[in-house]
Amino acid sequence: MAAAALPACLALQPGARTLRAFCTSVSLATRSAIARPRTADRTSRYERPLRRKALPPRTEKMSVDQDWPSVYPVAAPFKPSAVPLPIRMGYPVKRGVPMAKEGNLELLKIPNFLHLTPVAIKKHCEALKDFCTEWPAALDSDEKCERHFPIEIDTTDYVSAGPSIRNPKARVVTLRVKLSSLNLDDHAKKKLIKLVGERYCKTTDVLTIRTDRCPLKRQNYDYAMYLLTVLYHESWKTEEWEKDKTEADMEEYVWNNSSSEKNILETLLQMKAAEKNLEVNKEELLATKEVEEYKKSVVSLKNEGDNENTLSQYKESVKKLLNLM
Amino acid sequence: MLKRMTRLVSGAQQLDPGRFLHGEPQAPQSLAAHLDNQVPDESPRATSCTSEADPVRTFNEACLMVRKPALELLRYLKNTNFAHPAVRYVLYGETGTGKTLSLCHVIHFCAKQDWLILHIPDAHLWVKNCRGLLQSAYNKQRFDQPVEASSWLKNFKTANERFLSQIKVQEKYVWNKRESTEKGRPLGEVVEQGLTRVKNATDAVGIVLKELKSQSGSGAFRLLVAVDGVNALWGRTTLKREDKSPMAPEELALVRGVRKMVRNDWHGGAIVLTLSQTGSLFKPRKAYLPQELLGKEGFDALDPFIPILVSNYSPEEFESCIQYYLENSWLQHEKAQTEEGKKELLFLSNANPGQLERLCAYL
Repeated sequence: MAAAALPACLALQPGARTLRAFCTSVSLATRSAIARPRTADRTSRYERPLRRKALPPRTEKMSVDQDWPSVYPVAAPFKPSAVPLPIRMGYPVKRGVPMAKEGNLELLKIPNFLHLTPVAIKKHCEALKDFCTEWPAALDSDEKCERHFPIEIDTTDYVSAGPSIRNPKARVVTLRVKLSSLNLDDHAKKKLIKLVGERYCKTTDVLTIRTDRCPLKRQNYDYAMYLLTVLYHESWKTEEWEKDKTEADMEEYVWNNSSSEKNILETLLQMKAAEKNLEVNKEELLATKEVEEYKKSVVSLKNEGDNENTLSQYKESVKKLLNLM
Repeated sequence: MLKRMTRLVSGAQQLDPGRFLHGEPQAPQSLAAHLDNQVPDESPRATSCTSEADPVRTFNEACLMVRKPALELLRYLKNTNFAHPAVRYVLYGETGTGKTLSLCHVIHFCAKQDWLILHIPDAHLWVKNCRGLLQSAYNKQRFDQPVEASSWLKNFKTANERFLSQIKVQEKYVWNKRESTEKGRPLGEVVEQGLTRVKNATDAVGIVLKELKSQSGSGAFRLLVAVDGVNALWGRTTLKREDKSPMAPEELALVRGVRKMVRNDWHGGAIVLTLSQTGSLFKPRKAYLPQELLGKEGFDALDPFIPILVSNYSPEEFESCIQYYLENSWLQHEKAQTEEGKKELLFLSNANPGQLERLCAYL
């Protein structure tokens, strides 16, 4: 090999070829003397660095009662050598088992909460206690909280590692209030519900106003309070055009002046006329117990819809009214 | 359904009652005697099927099962006070439970008692697929349906022959330049006019309805108004005008006439109605409750009424139905007589009469 290399070196560097050739020949000779026995490998011109043996994983040195929050103090990816649990994850091949944790990409992909064990959370709480104030002793039940503080404001603050502390999502303000804690009469409540539309939930009686049109949280909060004030005052006012409210606009069925009332009145009048009983007048007819029952059954039928209960009630009341037993 | 109805009704008038209903000879008398005969275990009863196989010819008879809703209705009808305004009874229930047949039962009963029957077999047929819509001569904004009107007049004539000569019209009606019906002529003439001059059929129907309504209070006869599928009168139609705009039911003269009949501003009779989802337009398949099918308009128009629920078979009714099929050798499958087979049929049909009938058709 040395002999073959020597004329090549001479050919490549014609300048200081004698000295270099000598050096290279010497070095080549020395290197070839301690060359590794794998001479057939022509691609490894230089020595491959010696590989260290892999150390045993840290899990073998962990004791059972160690301080885990110091192993995972922050959210960190899953390190199989640092987690002493024999976890397997993955879809098994036929007649096999899921893959082990070493080199498992699936375990790396999923989020883990190894930094939030109960012990760690307890430590966080202890650290945060210094910054907390006492809950007022007088507010020991939900009803008292609702009574004294009916309006609830929800805001979110965002913290992230990055060059800027601003987050545009932090300007959203949600205002929640129960309508029963506002002083509204029947007309005002119906008008308010029509004004806010989808923001009112009938089952929980909660009005939710979510504002994010201003750039700052403080401005959004002011705007939400302003909206609540305006809604309250406007719903108490009665405009002229509200007189034109038709039956189709009504939220619930109203018996007075309805076609059902007219029908039953006509029927009863005809019945009385057939019996030659002409002295009765309308108010008396409407005030009888049967008509009251009938009115209740019709109102429940229209408001709640058809079900066995309402229909049977209606049937009984009509039978009594028309003397059909 | 229309075919079946005419056969039953005409049968009631023409044949002797004893011969007509093979399986039910004592039923009318037993009904008259025992008002509270709720559970029809002892009276001879049989089922009837509304299938295309037309069991009237198959079994040589048309039998009805006497069931609770019909009995309830008959009890009310027997106790009606004819001086009071007509009471409306609405039969409602899921599809296939027997509303139409309960209606037929009631009609048969009233026919036996010599009431004048005004029966509209299916109101849905009048609001869809009508050909030959004409603009009404009587009122320019309304539309006539000559085909439907004339077929109804034919059925009405066969059902109520006797009354047509007895009832006299109370006004003069001018059909066109040459023809008119004088005051005092029998109602049969109006019906004939409608049948011969098909163009005037709708007007003839309107006149018949008006006359019957005004004269029913006089006491000469009792009027039973029976409409099947009454929710068609207040729904939507699939009919269109010439400019392809949709038509509302109010613009049909026939519908207007029936709506007037169904109002309770007359006395001397009763009004029995059925709600039906099969054949209804633009209503979901599972809808069967009154407010769902009638809508707001219909409910307000019919209020106050007595709703009567028609439900699936009770265990005894189911047994009797299967017995009837077995007696007439309708069920040929060898496992049909066993307890297992009956339980299977009960499970598959969920005691729904219509479903059971369809299942047994294959066996």
